[in-house]
Amino acid sequence: MSLRLSLLIALVLIMASWAHIFFVDQASLSELFSEENRQHGLQFIRQLIGLEDEHPAFLEGQSWKKALTLTFETLVMSIMAIGFATTAMLVTVVPAARNVAQGSLTLVRRWYNWLIFCFFRLCYIFSRAVPELIWAMMIIFIFNPGLLPGAIALALHNFGILGKLCAEVIEDLDLRPIRNLASSGASKAQIFIYGVIPEVLPKFITYILYRWEVIIRTTIVVGFVGAGGLGMEFKLSMSWFHYTEIALYLLCYVLLVFFVDLLSEGIRRAVKS
Amino acid sequence: MWPLIDFHKKNVLTGLMFLVFLSSLLYIDWGPELIHAGGGTSLWQMVKGMFTPDLSGDILLLALVASWQTLVYAVAGMTLAIIFAFGFGTLASGVLAQGSLGRSGLKTFFRGVLGFMRAIHELVWAWLFVAAFGLTPFAAVFAIAIPYGGILGRIFADMLSDVPPQPIRALQAAGASRLQLLIYGYLPLAAADMTSYTMYRFECAIRSSAIMSFVGLGGLGYQIDLSLHDLKYSEVWTFLYFLIGLVIVVDLWSQVIRKRLVA
Repeated sequence: MSLRLSLLIALVLIMASWAHIFFVDQASLSELFSEENRQHGLQFIRQLIGLEDEHPAFLEGQSWKKALTLTFETLVMSIMAIGFATTAMLVTVVPAARNVAQGSLTLVRRWYNWLIFCFFRLCYIFSRAVPELIWAMMIIFIFNPGLLPGAIALALHNFGILGKLCAEVIEDLDLRPIRNLASSGASKAQIFIYGVIPEVLPKFITYILYRWEVIIRTTIVVGFVGAGGLGMEFKLSMSWFHYTEIALYLLCYVLLVFFVDLLSEGIRRAVKS
Repeated sequence: MWPLIDFHKKNVLTGLMFLVFLSSLLYIDWGPELIHAGGGTSLWQMVKGMFTPDLSGDILLLALVASWQTLVYAVAGMTLAIIFAFGFGTLASGVLAQGSLGRSGLKTFFRGVLGFMRAIHELVWAWLFVAAFGLTPFAAVFAIAIPYGGILGRIFADMLSDVPPQPIRALQAAGASRLQLLIYGYLPLAAADMTSYTMYRFECAIRSSAIMSFVGLGGLGYQIDLSLHDLKYSEVWTFLYFLIGLVIVVDLWSQVIRKRLVA
Protein backbone atom coordinates (compact mmCIF):
# COMPACT_ATOMS: atom_id res chain seq x y z
CA MET A 1 0.00 0.00 0.00
CA SER A 2 1.57 3.23 -1.08
CA LEU A 3 1.59 6.44 0.91
CA ARG A 4 -0.61 8.11 -1.69
CA LEU A 5 -3.30 5.48 -1.17
CA SER A 6 -3.07 5.96 2.59
CA LEU A 7 -3.48 9.69 2.14
CA LEU A 8 -6.51 9.12 -0.09
CA ILE A 9 -8.11 6.79 2.46
CA ALA A 10 -7.44 9.33 5.20
CA LEU A 11 -9.05 12.14 3.20
CA VAL A 12 -12.12 10.04 2.36
CA LEU A 13 -12.45 9.04 6.02
CA ILE A 14 -12.22 12.66 7.15
CA MET A 15 -14.83 13.87 4.67
CA ALA A 16 -17.19 10.97 5.37
CA SER A 17 -16.91 11.59 9.12
CA TRP A 18 -17.68 15.29 8.93
CA ALA A 19 -20.51 14.56 6.49
CA HIS A 20 -21.89 12.06 8.97
CA ILE A 21 -21.79 14.60 11.78
CA PHE A 22 -23.44 17.35 9.75
CA PHE A 23 -26.01 15.37 7.76
CA VAL A 24 -26.77 12.15 9.66
CA ASP A 25 -26.44 13.46 13.21
CA GLN A 26 -27.91 16.79 12.06
CA ALA A 27 -25.51 18.71 14.25
CA SER A 28 -25.26 22.37 13.37
CA LEU A 29 -22.53 24.75 14.37
CA SER A 30 -24.82 27.78 14.34
CA GLU A 31 -27.02 26.09 16.92
CA LEU A 32 -23.95 25.38 19.04
CA PHE A 33 -22.96 29.03 19.12
CA SER A 34 -26.48 30.34 19.61
CA GLU A 35 -27.36 33.04 22.16
CA GLU A 36 -29.15 30.50 24.32
CA ASN A 37 -26.13 28.22 24.50
CA ARG A 38 -23.89 31.18 25.27
CA GLN A 39 -26.10 32.10 28.22
CA HIS A 40 -26.14 28.48 29.31
CA GLY A 41 -22.36 28.19 29.08
CA LEU A 42 -21.79 31.43 31.00
CA GLN A 43 -24.24 30.31 33.67
CA PHE A 44 -22.33 27.02 33.96
CA ILE A 45 -19.03 28.84 34.44
CA ARG A 46 -20.60 31.20 37.01
CA GLN A 47 -21.83 28.18 38.93
CA LEU A 48 -18.44 26.50 38.74
CA ILE A 49 -16.57 29.47 40.20
CA GLY A 50 -19.17 29.79 42.91
CA LEU A 51 -20.86 33.10 42.08
CA GLU A 52 -24.29 31.55 42.61
CA ASP A 53 -23.48 29.64 45.75
CA GLU A 54 -23.56 31.06 49.27
CA HIS A 55 -21.03 28.55 50.57
CA PRO A 56 -18.63 27.66 47.77
CA ALA A 57 -16.90 24.37 48.54
CA PHE A 58 -13.42 25.75 47.99
CA LEU A 59 -13.83 28.25 50.83
CA GLU A 60 -14.64 25.58 53.40
CA GLY A 61 -11.99 23.66 55.31
CA GLN A 62 -14.14 20.56 55.53
CA SER A 63 -14.46 20.17 51.77
CA TRP A 64 -10.76 20.83 51.26
CA LYS A 65 -9.94 18.11 53.76
CA LYS A 66 -12.20 15.67 51.94
CA ALA A 67 -10.84 16.66 48.54
CA LEU A 68 -7.22 16.28 49.64
CA THR A 69 -7.91 12.84 51.14
CA LEU A 70 -9.49 11.83 47.85
CA THR A 71 -6.52 13.21 45.95
CA PHE A 72 -4.18 11.12 48.08
CA GLU A 73 -6.34 8.03 47.51
CA THR A 74 -6.22 8.69 43.78
CA LEU A 75 -2.44 8.88 43.93
CA VAL A 76 -2.33 5.56 45.82
CA MET A 77 -4.62 4.02 43.20
CA SER A 78 -2.34 5.15 40.39
CA ILE A 79 0.74 3.73 42.13
CA MET A 80 -1.01 0.42 42.67
CA ALA A 81 -2.11 0.36 39.03
CA ILE A 82 1.34 0.99 37.61
CA GLY A 83 2.77 -1.50 40.12
CA PHE A 84 0.39 -4.27 39.04
CA ALA A 85 0.96 -3.50 35.38
CA THR A 86 4.75 -3.52 35.83
CA THR A 87 4.71 -6.79 37.76
CA ALA A 88 2.59 -8.53 35.14
CA MET A 89 4.75 -7.06 32.38
CA LEU A 90 8.03 -8.18 33.98
CA VAL A 91 6.73 -11.72 34.36
CA THR A 92 5.70 -12.01 30.72
CA VAL A 93 8.05 -9.71 28.82
CA VAL A 94 11.05 -11.98 28.30
CA PRO A 95 9.27 -14.77 26.41
CA ALA A 96 7.30 -12.09 24.52
CA ALA A 97 10.42 -10.70 22.83
CA ARG A 98 10.99 -11.94 19.30
CA ASN A 99 14.72 -12.50 19.72
CA VAL A 100 14.08 -14.70 22.77
CA ALA A 101 11.51 -16.76 20.88
CA GLN A 102 13.92 -17.16 17.99
CA GLY A 103 16.68 -18.12 20.39
CA SER A 104 19.15 -15.49 19.15
CA LEU A 105 19.38 -13.90 22.59
CA THR A 106 19.35 -16.96 24.84
CA LEU A 107 21.07 -19.28 22.33
CA VAL A 108 18.50 -21.96 23.16
CA ARG A 109 15.82 -22.80 20.67
CA ARG A 110 12.77 -24.72 21.73
CA TRP A 111 9.67 -25.37 19.65
CA TYR A 112 7.23 -24.16 22.32
CA ASN A 113 8.94 -20.77 22.62
CA TRP A 114 7.00 -19.53 19.59
CA LEU A 115 3.72 -20.68 21.12
CA ILE A 116 4.43 -18.77 24.33
CA PHE A 117 5.52 -15.76 22.30
CA CYS A 118 2.28 -15.69 20.29
CA PHE A 119 0.17 -16.23 23.38
CA PHE A 120 1.69 -13.33 25.33
CA ARG A 121 1.63 -11.04 22.31
CA LEU A 122 -2.05 -11.84 21.84
CA CYS A 123 -2.67 -11.02 25.50
CA TYR A 124 -0.92 -7.66 25.03
CA ILE A 125 -3.00 -6.74 21.97
CA PHE A 126 -6.17 -7.82 23.69
CA SER A 127 -5.60 -5.96 26.92
CA ARG A 128 -4.49 -2.72 25.32
CA ALA A 129 -7.26 -2.61 22.73
CA VAL A 130 -9.91 -2.31 25.44
CA PRO A 131 -9.96 1.12 27.10
CA GLU A 132 -9.51 1.45 30.87
CA LEU A 133 -13.06 2.63 31.38
CA ILE A 134 -14.57 -0.44 29.75
CA TRP A 135 -12.33 -2.72 31.81
CA ALA A 136 -13.53 -0.79 34.87
CA MET A 137 -17.18 -1.17 33.85
CA MET A 138 -16.74 -4.92 33.71
CA ILE A 139 -14.59 -5.28 36.80
CA ILE A 140 -17.04 -3.34 38.93
CA PHE A 141 -19.41 -6.28 38.45
CA ILE A 142 -16.94 -8.48 40.29
CA PHE A 143 -15.43 -6.24 42.99
CA ASN A 144 -17.08 -3.92 45.45
CA PRO A 145 -16.53 -0.21 44.73
CA GLY A 146 -13.17 0.96 46.02
CA LEU A 147 -9.61 1.63 45.00
CA LEU A 148 -8.73 -1.94 44.03
CA PRO A 149 -11.10 -2.39 41.05
CA GLY A 150 -9.93 0.94 39.64
CA ALA A 151 -6.30 -0.04 40.01
CA ILE A 152 -6.93 -3.40 38.35
CA ALA A 153 -8.79 -1.82 35.42
CA LEU A 154 -5.98 0.70 34.86
CA ALA A 155 -3.39 -2.05 35.21
CA LEU A 156 -5.11 -4.31 32.67
CA HIS A 157 -4.99 -1.70 29.93
CA ASN A 158 -1.47 -0.51 30.70
CA PHE A 159 -0.14 -4.06 30.99
CA GLY A 160 -0.68 -4.46 27.25
CA ILE A 161 0.97 -1.17 26.37
CA LEU A 162 3.95 -1.64 28.71
CA GLY A 163 4.36 -5.20 27.49
CA LYS A 164 4.53 -4.13 23.88
CA LEU A 165 6.93 -1.25 24.53
CA CYS A 166 9.25 -3.23 26.80
CA ALA A 167 9.32 -6.31 24.56
CA GLU A 168 10.54 -3.99 21.81
CA VAL A 169 13.29 -2.75 24.13
CA ILE A 170 14.51 -6.32 24.58
CA GLU A 171 14.28 -6.90 20.83
CA ASP A 172 16.49 -3.85 20.23
CA LEU A 173 19.14 -5.06 22.70
CA ASP A 174 22.73 -4.79 21.51
CA LEU A 175 23.89 -8.42 21.44
CA ARG A 176 27.63 -7.75 21.47
CA PRO A 177 28.13 -7.15 25.23
CA ILE A 178 26.07 -10.27 25.95
CA ARG A 179 28.12 -12.44 23.58
CA ASN A 180 31.23 -11.00 25.15
CA LEU A 181 30.06 -12.01 28.61
CA ALA A 182 29.05 -15.45 27.40
CA SER A 183 32.37 -16.08 25.71
CA SER A 184 34.31 -15.06 28.81
CA GLY A 185 32.44 -17.73 30.73
CA ALA A 186 29.69 -15.86 32.56
CA SER A 187 26.87 -17.93 34.00
CA LYS A 188 23.26 -17.33 32.97
CA ALA A 189 22.54 -15.30 36.10
CA GLN A 190 25.65 -13.21 35.52
CA ILE A 191 24.70 -12.56 31.91
CA PHE A 192 21.30 -11.44 33.09
CA ILE A 193 22.61 -9.14 35.84
CA TYR A 194 25.55 -7.61 33.96
CA GLY A 195 24.43 -7.89 30.37
CA VAL A 196 20.68 -7.50 30.18
CA ILE A 197 19.52 -5.51 33.21
CA PRO A 198 21.83 -2.46 32.91
CA GLU A 199 20.91 -2.11 29.25
CA VAL A 200 17.18 -2.54 29.67
CA LEU A 201 16.38 -1.00 33.05
CA PRO A 202 16.66 2.74 32.21
CA LYS A 203 14.38 2.34 29.19
CA PHE A 204 11.87 0.29 31.18
CA ILE A 205 11.81 2.97 33.87
CA THR A 206 11.25 5.69 31.28
CA TYR A 207 8.27 3.84 29.84
CA ILE A 208 6.87 2.99 33.26
CA LEU A 209 7.04 6.62 34.36
CA TYR A 210 5.48 7.77 31.10
CA ARG A 211 2.58 5.37 31.56
CA TRP A 212 2.25 6.52 35.18
CA GLU A 213 1.65 10.06 33.90
CA VAL A 214 -1.07 8.72 31.63
CA ILE A 215 -2.59 6.64 34.42
CA ILE A 216 -2.90 9.59 36.78
CA ARG A 217 -4.98 11.41 34.14
CA THR A 218 -7.19 8.36 33.70
CA THR A 219 -7.79 7.67 37.41
CA ILE A 220 -10.59 10.22 37.40
CA VAL A 221 -12.31 8.41 34.56
CA VAL A 222 -12.34 4.93 36.07
CA GLY A 223 -13.75 6.59 39.18
CA PHE A 224 -16.84 7.55 37.18
CA VAL A 225 -18.09 3.98 37.17
CA GLY A 226 -17.55 3.61 40.92
CA ALA A 227 -13.92 2.60 41.13
CA GLY A 228 -13.08 5.07 43.91
CA GLY A 229 -10.92 8.15 44.19
CA LEU A 230 -11.60 11.66 42.93
CA GLY A 231 -13.60 10.45 39.93
CA MET A 232 -16.31 8.80 42.01
CA GLU A 233 -16.98 11.94 44.07
CA PHE A 234 -16.71 14.06 40.93
CA LYS A 235 -19.51 12.07 39.35
CA LEU A 236 -21.63 12.21 42.52
CA SER A 237 -21.28 16.00 42.68
CA MET A 238 -22.17 16.14 39.00
CA SER A 239 -25.40 14.26 39.57
CA TRP A 240 -26.29 16.42 42.58
CA PHE A 241 -25.36 19.64 40.73
CA HIS A 242 -22.89 20.69 43.43
CA TYR A 243 -21.00 22.89 41.02
CA THR A 244 -18.45 24.36 43.41
CA GLU A 245 -17.47 20.87 44.58
CA ILE A 246 -16.91 19.92 40.95
CA ALA A 247 -14.63 22.92 40.57
CA LEU A 248 -12.71 21.95 43.71
CA TYR A 249 -12.20 18.36 42.56
CA LEU A 250 -11.14 19.54 39.11
CA LEU A 251 -8.61 21.85 40.71
CA CYS A 252 -7.20 19.04 42.88
CA TYR A 253 -7.09 16.77 39.81
CA VAL A 254 -5.15 19.25 37.69
CA LEU A 255 -2.73 19.94 40.57
CA LEU A 256 -2.20 16.20 41.05
CA VAL A 257 -1.51 15.76 37.34
CA PHE A 258 1.06 18.55 37.36
CA PHE A 259 2.66 17.20 40.54
CA VAL A 260 3.01 13.70 39.05
CA ASP A 261 4.42 15.15 35.81
CA LEU A 262 7.07 17.04 37.76
CA LEU A 263 7.91 14.04 39.95
CA SER A 264 8.28 11.65 37.03
CA GLU A 265 10.36 14.20 35.12
CA GLY A 266 12.63 14.45 38.19
CA ILE A 267 12.99 10.68 38.58
CA ARG A 268 13.69 10.29 34.87
CA ARG A 269 16.46 12.86 35.07
CA ALA A 270 17.95 11.18 38.16
CA VAL A 271 17.91 7.78 36.46
CA LYS A 272 19.62 9.13 33.37
CA SER A 273 22.48 10.80 35.27
CA MET B 1 28.75 -16.37 46.08
CA TRP B 2 26.36 -13.88 44.57
CA PRO B 3 27.96 -10.86 43.00
CA LEU B 4 26.93 -7.63 44.69
CA ILE B 5 25.10 -5.18 42.49
CA ASP B 6 26.69 -1.74 42.56
CA PHE B 7 24.70 0.80 44.47
CA HIS B 8 24.16 3.23 41.64
CA LYS B 9 21.68 6.04 42.13
CA LYS B 10 19.57 4.25 39.53
CA ASN B 11 19.34 1.05 41.55
CA VAL B 12 18.52 2.91 44.76
CA LEU B 13 15.72 4.76 42.98
CA THR B 14 14.37 1.55 41.51
CA GLY B 15 14.31 -0.02 44.96
CA LEU B 16 12.62 3.04 46.37
CA MET B 17 9.89 2.96 43.74
CA PHE B 18 9.33 -0.72 44.47
CA LEU B 19 8.93 0.07 48.17
CA VAL B 20 6.42 2.82 47.39
CA PHE B 21 4.39 0.32 45.39
CA LEU B 22 4.50 -2.23 48.22
CA SER B 23 3.39 0.34 50.80
CA SER B 24 0.51 1.39 48.54
CA LEU B 25 -0.80 -2.16 48.83
CA LEU B 26 -1.15 -1.69 52.59
CA TYR B 27 -3.78 0.97 51.95
CA ILE B 28 -6.34 -1.67 51.05
CA ASP B 29 -8.12 -3.92 53.53
CA TRP B 30 -7.49 -7.30 52.02
CA GLY B 31 -10.53 -9.35 52.92
CA PRO B 32 -13.50 -11.20 51.50
CA GLU B 33 -15.62 -8.01 51.39
CA LEU B 34 -13.51 -6.79 48.46
CA ILE B 35 -15.51 -9.01 46.14
CA HIS B 36 -19.26 -8.80 45.49
CA ALA B 37 -21.51 -11.52 46.79
CA GLY B 38 -22.18 -12.54 43.19
CA GLY B 39 -18.73 -11.59 41.94
CA GLY B 40 -17.58 -15.13 41.31
CA THR B 41 -20.57 -15.97 39.12
CA SER B 42 -20.24 -12.70 37.18
CA LEU B 43 -16.60 -13.48 36.51
CA TRP B 44 -17.49 -16.97 35.32
CA GLN B 45 -20.22 -15.64 33.02
CA MET B 46 -17.85 -13.02 31.62
CA VAL B 47 -15.24 -15.64 30.82
CA LYS B 48 -17.93 -17.82 29.26
CA GLY B 49 -19.12 -14.87 27.15
CA MET B 50 -15.59 -14.35 25.93
CA PHE B 51 -15.68 -17.69 24.14
CA THR B 52 -19.33 -17.53 23.09
CA PRO B 53 -19.88 -14.02 21.66
CA ASP B 54 -23.38 -13.33 20.35
CA LEU B 55 -23.10 -13.57 16.57
CA SER B 56 -26.77 -13.15 15.59
CA GLY B 57 -27.52 -10.87 12.64
CA ASP B 58 -29.15 -8.08 14.66
CA ILE B 59 -26.24 -7.74 17.03
CA LEU B 60 -23.65 -7.83 14.25
CA LEU B 61 -25.50 -5.08 12.36
CA LEU B 62 -25.78 -3.02 15.55
CA ALA B 63 -22.08 -3.52 16.22
CA LEU B 64 -21.21 -2.44 12.69
CA VAL B 65 -23.23 0.77 12.98
CA ALA B 66 -21.77 1.50 16.41
CA SER B 67 -18.23 0.90 15.11
CA TRP B 68 -18.82 3.41 12.32
CA GLN B 69 -20.09 5.99 14.79
CA THR B 70 -17.06 5.46 17.01
CA LEU B 71 -14.80 5.87 13.98
CA VAL B 72 -16.61 9.06 12.92
CA TYR B 73 -16.03 10.84 16.24
CA ALA B 74 -12.43 9.68 16.36
CA VAL B 75 -11.67 10.92 12.83
CA ALA B 76 -13.47 14.23 13.28
CA GLY B 77 -11.78 14.81 16.64
CA MET B 78 -8.38 14.00 15.19
CA THR B 79 -8.82 16.42 12.27
CA LEU B 80 -9.37 19.29 14.69
CA ALA B 81 -6.61 18.02 16.98
CA ILE B 82 -4.11 18.06 14.11
CA ILE B 83 -5.08 21.64 13.26
CA PHE B 84 -4.72 22.74 16.91
CA ALA B 85 -1.48 20.82 17.32
CA PHE B 86 -0.03 22.28 14.19
CA GLY B 87 -0.76 25.86 15.18
CA PHE B 88 0.17 25.65 18.84
CA GLY B 89 3.01 23.20 18.25
CA THR B 90 4.74 25.47 15.76
CA LEU B 91 4.37 28.42 18.11
CA ALA B 92 5.53 26.40 21.12
CA SER B 93 8.62 25.14 19.31
CA GLY B 94 9.81 28.74 19.05
CA VAL B 95 11.03 28.37 15.47
CA LEU B 96 9.00 31.35 14.34
CA ALA B 97 10.27 33.75 17.00
CA GLN B 98 12.90 36.42 16.50
CA GLY B 99 15.56 36.79 19.18
CA SER B 100 16.17 34.62 22.22
CA LEU B 101 13.94 36.56 24.63
CA GLY B 102 10.91 36.42 22.33
CA ARG B 103 11.63 32.77 21.66
CA SER B 104 11.71 31.67 25.29
CA GLY B 105 8.66 33.79 26.12
CA LEU B 106 6.65 32.29 23.27
CA LYS B 107 7.84 28.80 24.14
CA THR B 108 6.90 29.02 27.82
CA PHE B 109 3.48 30.49 27.12
CA PHE B 110 2.39 28.02 24.45
CA ARG B 111 3.89 25.03 26.24
CA GLY B 112 1.79 26.05 29.22
CA VAL B 113 -1.33 26.22 27.05
CA LEU B 114 -0.61 22.78 25.59
CA GLY B 115 0.05 21.42 29.09
CA PHE B 116 -3.32 22.63 30.29
CA MET B 117 -5.10 21.18 27.25
CA ARG B 118 -3.71 17.72 27.87
CA ALA B 119 -3.86 17.75 31.67
CA ILE B 120 -7.61 17.11 31.65
CA HIS B 121 -8.82 13.76 30.38
CA GLU B 122 -11.02 13.73 27.26
CA LEU B 123 -13.99 12.30 29.11
CA VAL B 124 -13.89 15.13 31.65
CA TRP B 125 -13.85 17.63 28.78
CA ALA B 126 -16.82 15.81 27.24
CA TRP B 127 -18.67 15.99 30.52
CA LEU B 128 -18.03 19.69 30.88
CA PHE B 129 -19.17 20.35 27.29
CA VAL B 130 -22.35 18.37 27.71
CA ALA B 131 -23.08 20.13 30.99
CA ALA B 132 -22.53 23.52 29.36
CA PHE B 133 -23.98 23.07 25.86
CA GLY B 134 -26.19 20.01 26.03
CA LEU B 135 -25.94 16.76 24.14
CA THR B 136 -24.40 17.35 20.70
CA PRO B 137 -21.86 15.34 18.67
CA PHE B 138 -19.59 18.39 18.85
CA ALA B 139 -19.14 17.68 22.56
CA ALA B 140 -17.45 14.40 21.63
CA VAL B 141 -15.47 15.95 18.78
CA PHE B 142 -14.14 18.86 20.84
CA ALA B 143 -13.54 16.63 23.84
CA ILE B 144 -11.20 14.51 21.72
CA ALA B 145 -9.73 17.48 19.87
CA ILE B 146 -8.56 19.44 22.93
CA PRO B 147 -6.47 16.89 24.87
CA TYR B 148 -5.21 15.24 21.69
CA GLY B 149 -4.30 18.65 20.29
CA GLY B 150 -2.34 19.23 23.51
CA ILE B 151 -0.42 15.96 23.30
CA LEU B 152 0.22 16.15 19.56
CA GLY B 153 1.19 19.83 19.82
CA ARG B 154 3.76 19.14 22.51
CA ILE B 155 5.28 16.26 20.52
CA PHE B 156 5.26 18.33 17.30
CA ALA B 157 7.03 21.14 19.14
CA ASP B 158 9.69 18.70 20.42
CA MET B 159 10.16 17.23 16.96
CA LEU B 160 10.51 20.65 15.36
CA SER B 161 13.13 21.74 17.90
CA ASP B 162 15.04 18.48 17.42
CA VAL B 163 15.50 19.06 13.69
CA PRO B 164 19.24 18.99 12.80
CA PRO B 165 20.52 22.59 12.55
CA GLN B 166 22.73 22.32 9.45
CA PRO B 167 20.02 22.36 6.72
CA ILE B 168 18.30 25.20 8.57
CA ARG B 169 21.52 27.23 8.62
CA ALA B 170 21.96 26.60 4.91
CA LEU B 171 18.50 27.99 4.23
CA GLN B 172 19.17 30.93 6.54
CA ALA B 173 22.37 31.72 4.70
CA ALA B 174 20.42 31.71 1.45
CA GLY B 175 18.22 34.44 2.94
CA ALA B 176 15.04 32.53 3.82
CA SER B 177 12.50 34.24 6.08
CA ARG B 178 11.22 32.61 9.31
CA LEU B 179 8.12 31.29 7.57
CA GLN B 180 10.13 29.96 4.64
CA LEU B 181 12.45 28.24 7.12
CA LEU B 182 9.42 26.54 8.64
CA ILE B 183 7.90 25.43 5.34
CA TYR B 184 11.04 24.40 3.50
CA GLY B 185 13.31 23.48 6.39
CA TYR B 186 11.63 22.31 9.58
CA LEU B 187 8.44 20.69 8.26
CA PRO B 188 9.93 18.40 5.57
CA LEU B 189 12.56 17.21 8.05
CA ALA B 190 10.07 16.44 10.80
CA ALA B 191 7.18 15.24 8.62
CA ALA B 192 7.89 11.50 8.86
CA ASP B 193 8.06 11.45 12.65
CA MET B 194 5.03 13.69 12.92
CA THR B 195 2.94 11.44 10.67
CA SER B 196 3.85 8.26 12.46
CA TYR B 197 3.10 9.77 15.87
CA THR B 198 -0.23 11.10 14.58
CA MET B 199 -1.17 7.61 13.43
CA TYR B 200 -0.36 6.21 16.86
CA ARG B 201 -2.55 8.86 18.44
CA PHE B 202 -5.36 8.05 16.01
CA GLU B 203 -5.38 4.54 17.43
CA CYS B 204 -5.76 6.03 20.91
CA ALA B 205 -8.50 8.37 19.65
CA ILE B 206 -10.59 5.36 18.63
CA ARG B 207 -10.46 4.06 22.17
CA SER B 208 -11.34 7.48 23.55
CA SER B 209 -14.20 7.84 21.14
CA ALA B 210 -15.54 4.47 22.22
CA ILE B 211 -15.88 5.68 25.81
CA MET B 212 -17.60 8.93 24.86
CA SER B 213 -20.84 7.01 25.34
CA PHE B 214 -20.44 7.75 29.00
CA VAL B 215 -21.81 11.22 28.53
CA GLY B 216 -24.69 9.84 26.46
CA LEU B 217 -23.25 9.85 22.95
CA GLY B 218 -23.68 6.73 20.83
CA GLY B 219 -21.03 4.29 19.68
CA LEU B 220 -19.48 1.03 20.78
CA GLY B 221 -19.11 2.06 24.41
CA TYR B 222 -22.81 2.90 24.61
CA GLN B 223 -23.75 -0.56 23.35
CA ILE B 224 -21.31 -2.21 25.76
CA ASP B 225 -22.81 -0.21 28.60
CA LEU B 226 -26.38 -1.23 27.64
CA SER B 227 -25.52 -4.91 27.30
CA LEU B 228 -23.62 -4.89 30.59
CA HIS B 229 -26.65 -3.48 32.37
CA ASP B 230 -28.80 -6.22 30.87
CA LEU B 231 -26.13 -8.70 32.07
CA LYS B 232 -25.82 -10.04 28.49
CA TYR B 233 -22.12 -10.79 28.57
CA SER B 234 -22.01 -12.58 25.22
CA GLU B 235 -23.26 -9.37 23.54
CA VAL B 236 -20.67 -7.36 25.45
CA TRP B 237 -17.95 -9.51 23.99
CA THR B 238 -19.29 -9.13 20.44
CA PHE B 239 -18.96 -5.35 20.76
CA LEU B 240 -15.58 -5.70 22.44
CA TYR B 241 -14.31 -7.85 19.59
CA PHE B 242 -15.46 -5.18 17.12
CA LEU B 243 -13.59 -2.54 19.12
CA ILE B 244 -10.47 -4.70 19.28
CA GLY B 245 -10.76 -5.35 15.53
CA LEU B 246 -11.05 -1.64 14.80
CA VAL B 247 -7.98 -0.87 16.91
CA ILE B 248 -5.98 -3.65 15.27
CA VAL B 249 -6.88 -2.45 11.76
CA VAL B 250 -5.72 1.08 12.57
CA ASP B 251 -2.58 -0.33 14.21
CA LEU B 252 -1.75 -2.35 11.08
CA TRP B 253 -2.39 0.66 8.87
CA SER B 254 -0.08 2.83 10.93
CA GLN B 255 2.61 0.12 10.82
CA VAL B 256 2.40 0.08 7.02
CA ILE B 257 2.75 3.86 6.87
CA ARG B 258 5.64 3.85 9.35
CA LYS B 259 7.53 1.27 7.30
CA ARG B 260 7.03 3.30 4.12
CA LEU B 261 8.21 6.47 5.81
CA VAL B 262 11.32 4.92 7.28
CA ALA B 263 12.25 3.18 4.02
